[in-house]
Amino acid sequence: MSITRVLVANRGEIAVRIIKACRALGIESVAAVSQADKESLPARTADRAVCIGPPRSADSYLKIESIIAAALGTGSNAVHPGYGFLAEKPELAEACAKHGLTFIGPRPENIRQMGNKLLARAAVSEFGIPVVPGSKKVKNLAEASRIAQEIGFPVLCKAAAGGGGRGIKIVADPKQLREAFETAAAEARAAFGDDTLYFERYIPNARHIEVQVLGDRFGNVIHVGERDCSLQRRYQKVIEEAPAPRLSEALREEIRQAAATVARNLHYENAGTVEFIVDQDRGAFYFLEVNTRIQVEHPVTEMITGIDLVQEQIRIADGQPLSLSQSEVRFSGHAIECRITAESPSHAFRPCPGSIVEWRPPEGPSVRVDSHCFSGYVVPPFYDSLLAKLITRGDDRSEAVERMRLALENFTVRGVDTVIPFLRFLLHHPDYTAGKVNTRWLEAQVEQFSHCA
Amino acid sequence: MVSKSGYIPGTAAGSGIAAAPVARPVMSSTAETKEPVAQAKPARAEAKPIDTGVVEGAVAITAPMVGTFYTAPEPGAAPFVQLGGRVDEDATVGLIEVMKVFNAVKSGAPGVIAKICVENGQFVEYGQTLFLVRPEVVLDNEDPPE
Repeated sequence: MSITRVLVANRGEIAVRIIKACRALGIESVAAVSQADKESLPARTADRAVCIGPPRSADSYLKIESIIAAALGTGSNAVHPGYGFLAEKPELAEACAKHGLTFIGPRPENIRQMGNKLLARAAVSEFGIPVVPGSKKVKNLAEASRIAQEIGFPVLCKAAAGGGGRGIKIVADPKQLREAFETAAAEARAAFGDDTLYFERYIPNARHIEVQVLGDRFGNVIHVGERDCSLQRRYQKVIEEAPAPRLSEALREEIRQAAATVARNLHYENAGTVEFIVDQDRGAFYFLEVNTRIQVEHPVTEMITGIDLVQEQIRIADGQPLSLSQSEVRFSGHAIECRITAESPSHAFRPCPGSIVEWRPPEGPSVRVDSHCFSGYVVPPFYDSLLAKLITRGDDRSEAVERMRLALENFTVRGVDTVIPFLRFLLHHPDYTAGKVNTRWLEAQVEQFSHCA
Repeated sequence: MVSKSGYIPGTAAGSGIAAAPVARPVMSSTAETKEPVAQAKPARAEAKPIDTGVVEGAVAITAPMVGTFYTAPEPGAAPFVQLGGRVDEDATVGLIEVMKVFNAVKSGAPGVIAKICVENGQFVEYGQTLFLVRPEVVLDNEDPPE
């Protein structure tokens, strides 16, 4: 392995996850931490920690110069960006290359192309993959009106530079068009510095299905199966699982192959996720976007394939071929992940930073907890509210669900409010148990939960 | 802003950005969830502590960014400041280089350089103590208060 020391340019549970993967490969790790994270678990468990700036992420985790300086100053020869922060900024990948550092992720041109949703849609249609019916760049309100009529209401107004659900507006009828178009443009300008918008058909009864792909620099591409991430609140995933339930084997295989086709045509290197929308009313699927990073929900794939995706990322970046071929990928059982966030479900999910008095996660052979928390840890107010990912595996879905219920019962967190009570509620819901959900289902349960809470 | 005990305030000095040795792993490997190293301060045995000492009444000038610290404007030039030298608030006390961009570090406090805590070419972290400055006391007699 030519990678000998990895700078971990992230925080929280994913930093811990990357440090573990490095250790398993016999590689040293350096945690780049903000001032607020100097006593964090990544800072303590990495071989070394370096303070890169003040708590505000704009002054620390989002500063490319500081990441590069920290990597060079500690003799690291690779940088792992995790997810969020700089993970999908092609500028970081380019800066790494310029300074002789290996970026553990895809090539910058793939990050750039897939980062722009319009470019991504155009590229992927060329590969013969269905994309959600929609427009190219919409220049002005007059054009917006014409295109929206063509697609039909309700229509989605989306930011080309968007991501993470930001810059998306549902336009129910023509009367709402002007306001939606103008506010979406303003939001996109503020959030991404780019107010390019486009329209897409709105699919009311949709599932969000994504496929994990891996590619190496020798042109080998495999898929590692799909995940169902339909349970979302405000476009943020809450529960994910693999494989996707209630999907015909024919459609499942078609979606997996479509993802592999996308990755192959992009000459994709490293780990990525091809996201699709499945229209349950039409039995059709459409390409949505490619996430050019390791994803939060990667553990459910690991739990049913036995593949360590983060180790695989490091090996690929090191220039090694994929450690397995498509026919060697074996799927076994079912896995579910719940995101444990510091939000108060009984108070409109308001973020709840503060001191964790007691942290007692569940244990067991089919239970996995990815976390950076411990009793006495203070959840800082500067970052996202993810405390842990709770993952259970079963031989089939019902066993995985049963184990998740038990694991949630045995998860004790005192000091900060968490979404655990809400997750327990969801896991016992008959719709969830039956897999009869779509991307709007969870929002409705928020309402239900607040009534019975 | 002065680094507290238990956290490595810096790295072995001297060779600039060349590979600084890192401390050995503190934690065992692989277990997916492990009991956090928790309350006890982490052992950082091999991290070479830099003596930022305590100079009574002195204030620290800390690194405003992570990067490579230089004591002089260019190789071979006289350093910006020397031990015992006077600085005013706006005085440049050193440079920090980040991706070929040199940023001036200002004293921030008027006084006398009481301690130099870093070496030329050393990698410094954000918030690391670079100098200690004894504030200048302007009094009629020579006796400091207390």
